[in-house]
Amino acid sequence: MGSDSIPELLPGTLYLLILRALRGGPLHGYAIVKRIKEASGEGLQIEDGSLYPALNRMLVKGWLASEWGISENNRKARFYRLTREGRKQLEREAGEFDRLVRAIQLVMRTA
Amino acid sequence: MALWDEIGRRFAYLFRRAPFDRELEEEMRFHIQARADELEEAGAPAAAALAQARREFGSSLRIEEETRSAWQLRWLEDLGADLRYAARSMRRNPILAAAAAGSLALGIGANTTVFSVAKEALFSRPSCRDPQSLVEISVGRDVWIPMAQYRYIKDANLFEGLGGANIGMVVNWRLGNRSYRLAGTHVTDDFFEVTGIPVAMGRPIRRGDTDVAVITYGFWKNRLAEDPNAIGRVLVLDDRPYRVIGVLPRDHRMLAGFDFIPDLYLTKDTSEVMLYARLPQGMARSAAYARLKAVCGELDRVFPDVNRKWATGLRLSAVDGIERLRENGPMVIPVAAFFAMLGVVTGIVVLIACANVSSLLLARALARARELAIRMSLGGSRGRLIRQLLAESLLLALVGTGAGLLLNLWLDRLMSGIHIPTPLAIEPIIQPDGTLLAYSAAIAFVVTLATGLAPALKGTRSGIAGRLQEGGRESARAGGALRNALVVGQLAVSIVLLSGGLLFLRNLLSAASFNAGFDTEHSVESTFQTGAHSPREFAALVDRALERLRALPGVEAASPASAVPLNPFLAFNRPNVKFRPDGGAREVRVEYNFTAVGPDYFRTLGIPILEGRAFSDADRAGAPEVAILNENMARRLFGGTRAVGRTLRFPDNHDVTVVGVARNCKYVTLGEEGAAALYAPYAQQPDRANVHFFVRGRGASAAMVRRVDESLGDLDPTAAVDTHSMHEVFHGALMPSRVAAATLGAMALIGLLLASIGLYGVLLYAIHQRTREIGIRVALGATPGNVLAMVASESLRLVAAGVAIGLAAAAVAVRPLAMFLVPEVRPGDPLNFVAVACVLALVAGLATVAPTLRALGVDPAVALRHE
Repeated sequence: MGSDSIPELLPGTLYLLILRALRGGPLHGYAIVKRIKEASGEGLQIEDGSLYPALNRMLVKGWLASEWGISENNRKARFYRLTREGRKQLEREAGEFDRLVRAIQLVMRTA
Repeated sequence: MALWDEIGRRFAYLFRRAPFDRELEEEMRFHIQARADELEEAGAPAAAALAQARREFGSSLRIEEETRSAWQLRWLEDLGADLRYAARSMRRNPILAAAAAGSLALGIGANTTVFSVAKEALFSRPSCRDPQSLVEISVGRDVWIPMAQYRYIKDANLFEGLGGANIGMVVNWRLGNRSYRLAGTHVTDDFFEVTGIPVAMGRPIRRGDTDVAVITYGFWKNRLAEDPNAIGRVLVLDDRPYRVIGVLPRDHRMLAGFDFIPDLYLTKDTSEVMLYARLPQGMARSAAYARLKAVCGELDRVFPDVNRKWATGLRLSAVDGIERLRENGPMVIPVAAFFAMLGVVTGIVVLIACANVSSLLLARALARARELAIRMSLGGSRGRLIRQLLAESLLLALVGTGAGLLLNLWLDRLMSGIHIPTPLAIEPIIQPDGTLLAYSAAIAFVVTLATGLAPALKGTRSGIAGRLQEGGRESARAGGALRNALVVGQLAVSIVLLSGGLLFLRNLLSAASFNAGFDTEHSVESTFQTGAHSPREFAALVDRALERLRALPGVEAASPASAVPLNPFLAFNRPNVKFRPDGGAREVRVEYNFTAVGPDYFRTLGIPILEGRAFSDADRAGAPEVAILNENMARRLFGGTRAVGRTLRFPDNHDVTVVGVARNCKYVTLGEEGAAALYAPYAQQPDRANVHFFVRGRGASAAMVRRVDESLGDLDPTAAVDTHSMHEVFHGALMPSRVAAATLGAMALIGLLLASIGLYGVLLYAIHQRTREIGIRVALGATPGNVLAMVASESLRLVAAGVAIGLAAAAVAVRPLAMFLVPEVRPGDPLNFVAVACVLALVAGLATVAPTLRALGVDPAVALRHE
């Protein structure tokens, strides 16, 4: 899988993507990567190397909680879910992101 | 708070690091396995799928590291590592580390103990319910209020409650056929309810109780032998049975503060009381003041008094904190000044210890200069290195403060056992508490910075390249200058401490041989206090007492008097009066010590009458009023002219004739100078319920004291009698000086010891640095004399600088000590400074001996190879 075909993530959007991916319910790490990849039509690929540090920073901030459960293939896996704090953060960041994107698009079209 | 939650989560992480790592590994394994499963489903062989999944995942070690760092509190873990490193390097040189921590501990222990004692003495919270709403009331410019006025104010129901107490009354306790003097606090029956003083056993005094007593823990323990049936026991006090109804807890603190403690509280009507009011919930002091003012206005109509306007000088003051101190102003100032002085002195000792530790750390940092330079050249940040060096001083400061606190606890225990036998005894209860901990933490912080900052900055400065080449010799010289400065500073402050210590020592010596102006070796003083008598009855009682005393074997003279010299608790009245000498128009304002004395007073105490005569039996009530002045008073009123035979007109226009002039002596304190005094005949003074008898004998032995005590006790079993030799009274006056001399002397010695260790270390280090140079000199033919001169001049330079700075500082610093000293000992006396400089030079000389021997022993062959 060549990384040159996939655009780099905008800085700061990793948290937003993870939060959004978990809105539908708890997922384990691998499923998060997959969900984002599929939802973006293969357009976004999260580096495995940056996923776990990001998840843990979000645990520290209290946006996520984690617990061990059983995966779809009957393996023990750690599932992450949004906390109330995480939901609020998602709303905040999503709103900001929308505004940013709209502003950039505006500039791209008119300037 | 989100921030606190986050810190909490990070903190929790610290305690589950091992399971965290295990789980993270498992999670990553799962991730790789899940990817491999997917690849396998797409048709790849199992082994190839796993290999590809691993490749895609990348370095799991790096991911682990980064993931962990999301949780870590970097600085905390760094600090832990630095402290461990520091502890290791201390262990390599345990004696130096122990000496450094030990000297810190001495200083910090002494300093925190002064803090604990001062806090207890000045700011202890009295034992009572809700001190915030309890106030002490002054009416008519005085805290003492007669009972009738007290009842009037109380009946006005201004407050939730108004209790009265008369602290420090002498009570005569009859047990079998012996009597004992107790210090009792007379209280109104509602005093305990108003103040809410807690009791440990039994119950407090309640409204309507009569003839009951609440005893203190000390009385229960020492006098009643911890009698388990103490409650209900009857004590005969002042010839009247009182039932014990309660025992106070061990840590009872009086409302009066200062760790005063009576033997018991008892219900008894006294002539006057101090008022304590409980303000109703929500009543501001200003509102209470306004209501009190109105009632005191009525007092002026109901109890008109020319000498006291009840509605003036009203005050409602708190029973604790700074306000209580202000209320007790004149008494507190010397005490607070004394503690301040001790605080400064012990603080200086801490500083001297800091200088030693700093010097030690500097030497260590310089010895590691090469290592530090390499680390910096490899990209180690200077801040990180400074933090590591500071960790060493933090460790020493923590160990020193910890040991200092242990010393503090021990000293506190020691002090808490003290019983100061003032008329109302003082028993300090010193307990460690949160403030002490906070204070110690602050000290540890200051010590860390004071000892560590300079060495850390110095050790990590200067060019890296130069360091690597020179092996740190360049910076060693720069560090040497700093160490020299530290030693000079130590020597200087030691001089200041020594000067203070020497002053107090001289004070003690000269006070011991000091002439108070009266004979302290052949006289006995007895305080005699009875219940209320009519003036005529009391005069008769005094006459009978004198007859009995004169009949005792070995007694040469006896006299009554209204005050005891050098006893601040039984002190002289100190009126401040505008006299008109010879009844003329000229007014002279004099503040003087007043005492009424019997005809034999001057003979009993051996005070010479310089002009005129002493009093005689003819100077009785009804006879013309006469007075004897001391020299100071006579000079102030009549200049150099003869005073005998002249008249003094008081402001109320009555005249008194001067019949004699007595030699000056000490009245209230040993330190007073130029004090004026006026004596009046005892027989011409109106009634008192108490009197002091002075008895002169061939000596003032214990047997004599007992005879006088028993004789007066038998005369009136209801009277409280307290007898001491004048020698004892005089030594009581020396106590503050003795305490100061001992404390300051001890501190000065510790300071001197630490400073000489500092000097020794610096010289030794300097010689170590110059071993090569010395070797070359010796090889080139320098004699032992030359080497000796070299070391001695190094030492001399430091000592001379220290002494010069120290003497200049001491000359200024000891000046305020004058308030504690007898006038004969002047703080500015050059002799002091010469003596101190000599002591310091001697000690410095001793500290130089070992380094000199080391220098003389340098073998050129070895030294030249030294690097």
